[in-house]
Amino acid sequence: MKILVLNSGSSSVKFQVIETDLERMKAHQDETLAVGQVEKIGLSDSRLVLQVPERHPYQDYREILEHRAAIEWVLRVLVDDEHGILSSTDEIGAVGHRVVHGGEEFASSVLMTPDVVSKIEACTVLAPLHNPANLRGYYAAHAILSDVPHVAVFDTAYHQTMPAHAFLYGIPFQFYTKHHLRRYGFHGTSHRFVSYRASQILGWERSDKRYITCHLGNGCSVAAIDRGRSIDTSMGFTPLEGLLMGTRSGDLDPAIIPWLIAMEEMTLHQVNTMLNKHSGLYGVSGVSSDMREVLAARSENHKRADVAFRIFSYRVRKYIGAYAAAMGGVDAVVFTGGIGEHSPEVREWALDGLSFMGLELDAAENARVRGKEAEITTPESAVKALVVPTNEEWVIARDVVRVLNDIMPSFTPPETVT
Amino acid sequence: MSWELHHVSIVGAGMMGRSIATKVAQQGINVCLKEISMERAQECRETLETTLDHQIARFNITQAEKKAILSRISWVTQFDCAAECDLAIETVQEDFELKREIVQELDRRMPPGHPIVINTSTLSITEIAAASQNPGRVLGMHFLYPVTTTRVVEVVRGQLTKDTAYERAVEFARLLDKVPIKVFEMPGFVTTRVVLPLVNEAMHVVMEGVATAADVDLALKLGFDFRTGPLEWSDRVGLDRVLNWIQHMFQETGEARFRPCPLLKRLVRAGLLGTKTGRGFFTYDVNRRRLDRLPDDRPGLA
Repeated sequence: MKILVLNSGSSSVKFQVIETDLERMKAHQDETLAVGQVEKIGLSDSRLVLQVPERHPYQDYREILEHRAAIEWVLRVLVDDEHGILSSTDEIGAVGHRVVHGGEEFASSVLMTPDVVSKIEACTVLAPLHNPANLRGYYAAHAILSDVPHVAVFDTAYHQTMPAHAFLYGIPFQFYTKHHLRRYGFHGTSHRFVSYRASQILGWERSDKRYITCHLGNGCSVAAIDRGRSIDTSMGFTPLEGLLMGTRSGDLDPAIIPWLIAMEEMTLHQVNTMLNKHSGLYGVSGVSSDMREVLAARSENHKRADVAFRIFSYRVRKYIGAYAAAMGGVDAVVFTGGIGEHSPEVREWALDGLSFMGLELDAAENARVRGKEAEITTPESAVKALVVPTNEEWVIARDVVRVLNDIMPSFTPPETVT
Repeated sequence: MSWELHHVSIVGAGMMGRSIATKVAQQGINVCLKEISMERAQECRETLETTLDHQIARFNITQAEKKAILSRISWVTQFDCAAECDLAIETVQEDFELKREIVQELDRRMPPGHPIVINTSTLSITEIAAASQNPGRVLGMHFLYPVTTTRVVEVVRGQLTKDTAYERAVEFARLLDKVPIKVFEMPGFVTTRVVLPLVNEAMHVVMEGVATAADVDLALKLGFDFRTGPLEWSDRVGLDRVLNWIQHMFQETGEARFRPCPLLKRLVRAGLLGTKTGRGFFTYDVNRRRLDRLPDDRPGLA
């Protein structure tokens, strides 16, 4: 079945067409037929890019003012005689939507019935920037492709298996009951995919091993996957918690916020923007939010670029140590995301000194691996480390198949607290 | 007839015009900003860039947002783009004849029913509207500076304003993520009318030697949870502007509570206009940071 996967942001729609079904999934023969995006929605020079394997990328510009026009454009290009890959939109059997926040409502991917959509609307208060954009994409796609099933795949669902001692904050309990203020975690589809893929590569049963997955991209998070279940992850109520990121601060003493408001006479908006958009690699190094540029500056003895790199890598190491302790050990550490896949320097620093727990890095192999599946520990290493490129769109397409065949596993919470 | 807001025309790229244009562009709406000459437009564009850089330094926006804002603003010297705009705002100086002329120019070009917004805190919207062919689409919006962060806008209904135009302006305010306060035309609307007697009284207290300017501000800040005291607020607005407003209110209403405090007049005559000249009731550096804050004038952390 051909599945249209949509990842709708406020001013962009990323899409893929993936051919998959139960047989293909079993044989690991999912096939990506097309990848593309529409950028700058709302402007007069919106751009559409379409990449089809073995073909030159195609691009076009026009005025696209809202999501529906963007998705209509995508479909028109997909069925185009010259650039397209489909003979008609009827070939699309289902649509999978990435939805950032499913709150405590959704512990697995679901068919988007009117009831489900209104529950996703209700989660908007938890993700005011992301969920509305995701839903705009859904409404637009549903208006055009109304005869096929639409499935929502949540960033948060996979982490719903966290126990209460991992997801609750140490603040008065009333805020949890009143506002659902708790840790949710994000990048769930990615952590799920790379831990699964790592077990395949290693030839292990997933259900008896412990993984620490490090998704290091634009946003960064680490997850502890204990025998197939996420038991902790570094992002919390929002994607601001945890690791240092491109422009996000990650963990900090919350007392800093009122202190800055007082001393620097900052408004809440300014503090929020500062922590989300002016911090991280960019804020510390003053060079860039892009790890490649930070590394380039570091190699020219730029002191603050060096310390930004070290904060970044050190925090990954700290979380690996913490999650090994949380699971009573670890069998494999997995790196993914732009930085995780392409930066041997970060991986080396993050794994440095972990031989005490049985992880022996193969430095030469690590230095070689960029953007492909590989083991980066020595054959003798008791704990394995791997690089596994993530593929969230595959997970979304496969979840569509699972939901339609009614075999979608639910990541049910182990307990509820009231 | 359906009406959607995609293009806004702003006439006048002064402080208020630029600030409104910035906010409109930030919300993803395209703006046409008209000035009298390309030279003047270029100057205004450079000033806007400096303002945006300042916003970045204060963590209000990012480099990428600055680029996006600038990319949505086009600078023009003719009224042509009014023909394609869904709403127009004039922000030129408080000059009745000039505003009347601009409203006529806009009215001639804009599709029927698209609102024409007058930005004034002193002139009569009804009077300006009455001089145009379609007075029903003319109304006022009183934005408070800086438009990018102030959450409120007064949407002013003149005697001849029709409901459709008025409701479209209210919708526009919501698109700007602002809370519209609906008011009828009356001198000072709500904000100006209520705040001026307060600042005038604060100035009287200082003039009478009851307390120092710093203590007056501090008392009101700490006592009533004001973010800024009335005197520093006046310095930041510009004492000349405050004086203009209050004189106007006095003329319009004849009420003694709007008689300008002599100390305010004296400061304006001395050229001590507030943050823009570095001195008013208080002293400021070039970045408009206050230099003479009392030790107690800080939010406590206790």
